[in-house]
Amino acid sequence: MTEQWQRVHPASPFVRGWVAIVGLAYIYWQNTNDLTLAERLSGERLRWTVLIGAGALLVVLVFYALSWYFTRYRITGTHVYVNSGMVFRSQKQARIDRVQGIEVAQPLVARLLGLAELHFDVADGSQSMLRLSFLRKADAQRLRALILGRAQAARNGQAPLDGQEADSVPDTAASAAQAPDPDVLMARVPHGRLLASLFLRMPTIIGVLSALALGIMTLSGVGGMAAGLIPALLGFGGWFYKELNNSWNFSAAATDTGLRVSRGLADTRQQSIPAGRVQSIQVSSPALWRLLGWYRVEVNALGVGSQEEAQNLLVLPVGDFDAVARVMGILLPDLGVERQREVLFTAINSGGEDHGFTLSPHRAKPLSPGAWKNQGFLATDTTVISRYGWLGRITAFTAHNRVQGIMLRQGPLERRRQLAGLRIYSAGGTVTGYIQQVDAQIAGKFLEEQSRRIAGR
Amino acid sequence: MESPMERSPNDFQPVAPEYFTVKLIGWALNTGLYLLVALAPLVLRLFGVQTPLWLVIAPPLAVLLIALPALRLLRRRVRALGYLEREEDLVVRSGVMWRKQLVIPYGRMQYVEVTSGPLERKYGLCKLTLNTASGSATAVIPGLAEHTGRDLRERLSAAGEAKML
Repeated sequence: MTEQWQRVHPASPFVRGWVAIVGLAYIYWQNTNDLTLAERLSGERLRWTVLIGAGALLVVLVFYALSWYFTRYRITGTHVYVNSGMVFRSQKQARIDRVQGIEVAQPLVARLLGLAELHFDVADGSQSMLRLSFLRKADAQRLRALILGRAQAARNGQAPLDGQEADSVPDTAASAAQAPDPDVLMARVPHGRLLASLFLRMPTIIGVLSALALGIMTLSGVGGMAAGLIPALLGFGGWFYKELNNSWNFSAAATDTGLRVSRGLADTRQQSIPAGRVQSIQVSSPALWRLLGWYRVEVNALGVGSQEEAQNLLVLPVGDFDAVARVMGILLPDLGVERQREVLFTAINSGGEDHGFTLSPHRAKPLSPGAWKNQGFLATDTTVISRYGWLGRITAFTAHNRVQGIMLRQGPLERRRQLAGLRIYSAGGTVTGYIQQVDAQIAGKFLEEQSRRIAGR
Repeated sequence: MESPMERSPNDFQPVAPEYFTVKLIGWALNTGLYLLVALAPLVLRLFGVQTPLWLVIAPPLAVLLIALPALRLLRRRVRALGYLEREEDLVVRSGVMWRKQLVIPYGRMQYVEVTSGPLERKYGLCKLTLNTASGSATAVIPGLAEHTGRDLRERLSAAGEAKML
């Protein structure tokens, strides 16, 4: 049915082009600012307004129509093609067997119209991402399932074309005939918990406090001073909205290749995160969350989502230990230890030297009086786990075969106390493993052993 | 062995001694420039503009106070630079006060770049940059003799290809 060229939804140009119509209205408003409503609606002037307005609208609509007419897509057994543009034509294509994941995104206007666009994640694809915008949401989801199914079938049907691909294409043991979406829900974030979690974080607390201060100052008549707080409030508001928009209605489901997350308040999006693409995982727990046993999980992943957002990929905005364990079980199934659950718990909570963790020695106390007890690391057969933090805790997990480089560092104060730190770098984001202020001998030994582990993957 | 940072320093290949000259010239140019700016009040005063004495003295003093210790460290900093080609990885060492050792496995290497600025070229030097998929794990070895840099790049590329999956 989809072998022929097809057009996108007729309202598509409007989703990105509505600004033009708003612009027209704005120009009209600007130029007639001094008129009253009665003057606007009186005889001669009204006729001209309507005529010019209709003309301008017609031009815009013609452009919309042409844009729509020239945008076509086709899905064959092996490729996805998207053609667009009237004067400058662009023809994009993606090989289906290279499609790693498809994100269903809904910008705000599209959402109001019930439309969605597809973003294709293509392995070794060019920098410009293939997008198909817009389709009715149900159609988009159907198409996504269809293409992913074909992608899997194509991958299973023949071996990967070149050996290098084997690293990034996760093993798809499932048979081709299997339905592409046998998803199992792994985590869901209720609205209440998300809001509570946001209000327990430092930026929000500072924001609320400064809002209170602003209110008190204004009421007591020192408005001039209060003005200094406004930028802080705006910054807080922006941060809060971004967090809310990123995490609203969050759910994560297991697919046969990894995890699929969907989230968003104004812009909703669905992302597939194949486990094979995950480079490094960070579990963090801000100070106040620790009272409730909540955690946040972010990952470094290669080729998932648009590269322009320098953020890490959020795979769990807030969740309890069970949720963390479930998500981790999918993204990093083998921690390389026997009692995975206990080790994971120790890793993200700082449970002393249990399970073989190496901690900062007592002489690190003057350098980090609060955190030294929590700083530590553990190298298992498959993974390096490193943790730091004073009131909050931040733990990074990096599989040995994902480490891109290790750096041993030693400052003058650390040298005097025979301490040294290490950083474990991975690709695809900002998650970095920090090993802080461990014994210098141990750090040196770790550097040697770890470089051997990386090389002999 | 005092600390692992001292991993038998003789193992590391040092960078070319000429690199000190390059750094020195760079230091002189930089300091000269700042000094020029810092001396502006003095010039004003000489031309008869009312300028307080402290404004004449303080800026050049500050520049010298920062620049001279840096000069003292310069030779040691150059001497601290070094690299070590091991069987499976490259280790790059740097820093006097804050010492660093970066280990990059050959298998993680994406590409190797050799670049040289005009001053470096004059002294027959170049800089080698080894990139991985992670922006933070980038090894930089400045002050290599041109042929050393070229040979090292060849060796690294060959090693990288051999270790690739």
